[in-house]
Amino acid sequence: MSLPAVDVLSQFLAQQPEPVQRVVDTVTTGEAIAFWVLGPLALAGALGMLFARNAVHSALWLVVTMLSLGVLYMIQQAPFLGFVQIIVYTGAIMMLFLFVLMMVGRDSSDSVVEVIRGQRLAAALLGIGFAVLMVGSVGRALTSVQSKGLAEANTTNGGNVGNIGTKLFTDYLFAFELTSALLITAALGAMILAFVGRDGKPARKTQKELVEERFQEGKRVGSIPGPGVFATANSVATPALLPDGSVSEESLFEVIEATDSSTLSDDLAEVAGTGHQPDSHALKGSES
Amino acid sequence: MNLLVAQAQQIEAPQIDYGAIAPLLVVLGAACMSVLLEALLPKHQRWAVQLVLTLGTLVGATGALIFYATSERPAQGVATLAGAIAVDSPSLFLWATLLVLAFGSVLLIADRSVEPGGAFVAQAAIRPGTIQDRAQATKTGMQTEVFPLTLFALGGMMTFVASNDLLTMFVALEVLSLPLYLMCGLARRRRLLSQEAAVKYFLLGAFASAFFLYGVALLYGYAGSVKLSAIATAAAGTDRSDTLLFAGFGLLVVGLLFKAAVGPFHSWTPDVYQGAPTPVTAFMAACTKVAAFGGILRVLTVAFENTQWEWRGVLYGVAVVSMVIGAVLGLTQTDVKRMIAYSSVAHAGFLLIGSIALTPEGTAPGVSATLFYLLAYGFTTIAAFGIVSLVRNSDGEATHLSQWAGLAKRSPIVAGVFTFLLLALAGIPLTSGFIGKFVVFSAAIEAGLAPLVVIALVASAVAAFFYLRVIVLMYFSEPAPDGPTVTVPGAFTTIAITLGAVVTLVLGLWPTFVLDWAGTGTFLS
Repeated sequence: MSLPAVDVLSQFLAQQPEPVQRVVDTVTTGEAIAFWVLGPLALAGALGMLFARNAVHSALWLVVTMLSLGVLYMIQQAPFLGFVQIIVYTGAIMMLFLFVLMMVGRDSSDSVVEVIRGQRLAAALLGIGFAVLMVGSVGRALTSVQSKGLAEANTTNGGNVGNIGTKLFTDYLFAFELTSALLITAALGAMILAFVGRDGKPARKTQKELVEERFQEGKRVGSIPGPGVFATANSVATPALLPDGSVSEESLFEVIEATDSSTLSDDLAEVAGTGHQPDSHALKGSES
Repeated sequence: MNLLVAQAQQIEAPQIDYGAIAPLLVVLGAACMSVLLEALLPKHQRWAVQLVLTLGTLVGATGALIFYATSERPAQGVATLAGAIAVDSPSLFLWATLLVLAFGSVLLIADRSVEPGGAFVAQAAIRPGTIQDRAQATKTGMQTEVFPLTLFALGGMMTFVASNDLLTMFVALEVLSLPLYLMCGLARRRRLLSQEAAVKYFLLGAFASAFFLYGVALLYGYAGSVKLSAIATAAAGTDRSDTLLFAGFGLLVVGLLFKAAVGPFHSWTPDVYQGAPTPVTAFMAACTKVAAFGGILRVLTVAFENTQWEWRGVLYGVAVVSMVIGAVLGLTQTDVKRMIAYSSVAHAGFLLIGSIALTPEGTAPGVSATLFYLLAYGFTTIAAFGIVSLVRNSDGEATHLSQWAGLAKRSPIVAGVFTFLLLALAGIPLTSGFIGKFVVFSAAIEAGLAPLVVIALVASAVAAFFYLRVIVLMYFSEPAPDGPTVTVPGAFTTIAITLGAVVTLVLGLWPTFVLDWAGTGTFLS
């Protein structure tokens, strides 16, 4: 038994045309359309990430870029890479990223003050210059290259995923294993920079110890009465009244001086039953 | 799907020559073990156990290395793990250098006598300047995670100098860098400065890694493989456009030169050297330099030897820029650690001269010279930073130059040793620095780089001025009444400084043994 999603995924991964059917160095119309839709989207996402003031917006722009790249990978005969890009990068890593941003506080934005005069202009010029140089040279170099295509890698010897797995466990075995050192270091680093131990402080008391301690001290075990809530006042400074009309000292918070008893005289009288009795005509108003 | 699975054959596991890579496996394995100890041991036992484990690992790895080097092995070296790791004579020399230098650095890292509790903060997660931070300043614990981090960094460095393809090299670069970024931010004193150094190093390092990776991608596009030998073969006879090759080479070299703190890619060096805890600075200055130049030597001689006429001019220029920046900006520094940082930039320029000294016949006289220079420079630097950690006042290390005035009157021995080390950095005869410069420059002349050697000699003379200025300051100035005191070091720091100074002297007097060893073989191609 397998999950439907896994079935769909495996069918998609297995869905490879025969090598002979595949024309490697032509770009189909569908591919061209997808490229011209996704390419600008990816670029817009990257620029948005750079220029967004808010860190959360930046992260979301980056998600756009990554999703576009993922789909582009799939179109270019690399389905596994495309799925990994979307599931791992966009799904897991970027969401983790957003969690961290939320934890740190999303209102912390970049300082816009230039420390070195003209730095931003110079950096922009150099950056654009570098981009032009790279695009120019790579573009020039790649126009003369005969494309090879992945038809062979995708159809022989276990297909796309099988070949990646084989490479990982033969040619790049050591690099693959060495990555674990990187992950351990990262985990260790996160612990060092974020974890504050409790050394020096006594261990926290358990619930049982707290209860026993309270009984041994012989203090009041139950909860102390809350402040009084009357028709005229609901402040914490209002004392609760005992059934005989006297003030309950325990209900008063030590630091707050109790309300002057003269303002409560009506309530006191009411509790004691000595005040004026309800008048059955009172609700009718003054007309009666 | 079933059809595709049926097609898959049983994969053949790559051959592993365990004897050859034993030192590497020992270091990485011990690093993992060290992390486990960190998790399982109570806090008060960690320092001692970690120290024993780390030093034991270094001794064990060196033993494995000596055993392999003296046993029957192919003269030109072996490529193991499907050609990812090349264990040849330069690899073995660099591994031995890294292990011995790491031994000295670990002694400095472990020292708890100079600064009570060690140079590392007790709890790095506590924010600097808070009440909790002031409370922990009085405690003597330290973040013992520095030991596994050191081992991981060392493992990364050893892989880096032996990696025979660019992908392994990239992962090794990250494995060596990440622990260093962390360790830079763990200083006990001046924590904000230390954390700033860590952030700067991390951001710029990540940027440099991106350059390296982009270069690898373009070279893969050119050669269809990331193996160094495949790139050399592709470059030897092909009608492919060279644009990819040289664009890739340029980007790759930027990443490498950044790690080596060469020339215009040095901007992180002074700040990071100054902010990091001094033992970490010593480790970085000595071992990272060895690893980075080991990588540069291998890449240049194995992958790009055929195309040297195209790239030589560029690296020629970089070497000049590096020497000029190091020598001239070093003159203006008022902080000892920053001064040594700029001196390391100048030295990186000298090392680069050795690295590009390839003859048209395909021999590389610069390789053995550079290897020797790295060993000599590493020991001198570790001892120099060891001394820097001893001169202290109530705020911690007194690194401002004015505070060093008249130091010879307070502590003639420390001033004497430091003078000797500065003379070695300047390249005065009877020190290893002189022999190092001599062999590198003669290799460069052999490779037809005479004008570069002239520039290098002028730069050395300028650089010698700022070393001499410190010496004059120490001997011929009156000490300030509220000046720093010289701490009497405990056993660890004493051993590290003595080791560095003695090796500097011995290599200056009898360099033949090490020179012969450095020249026993060439890179496996």
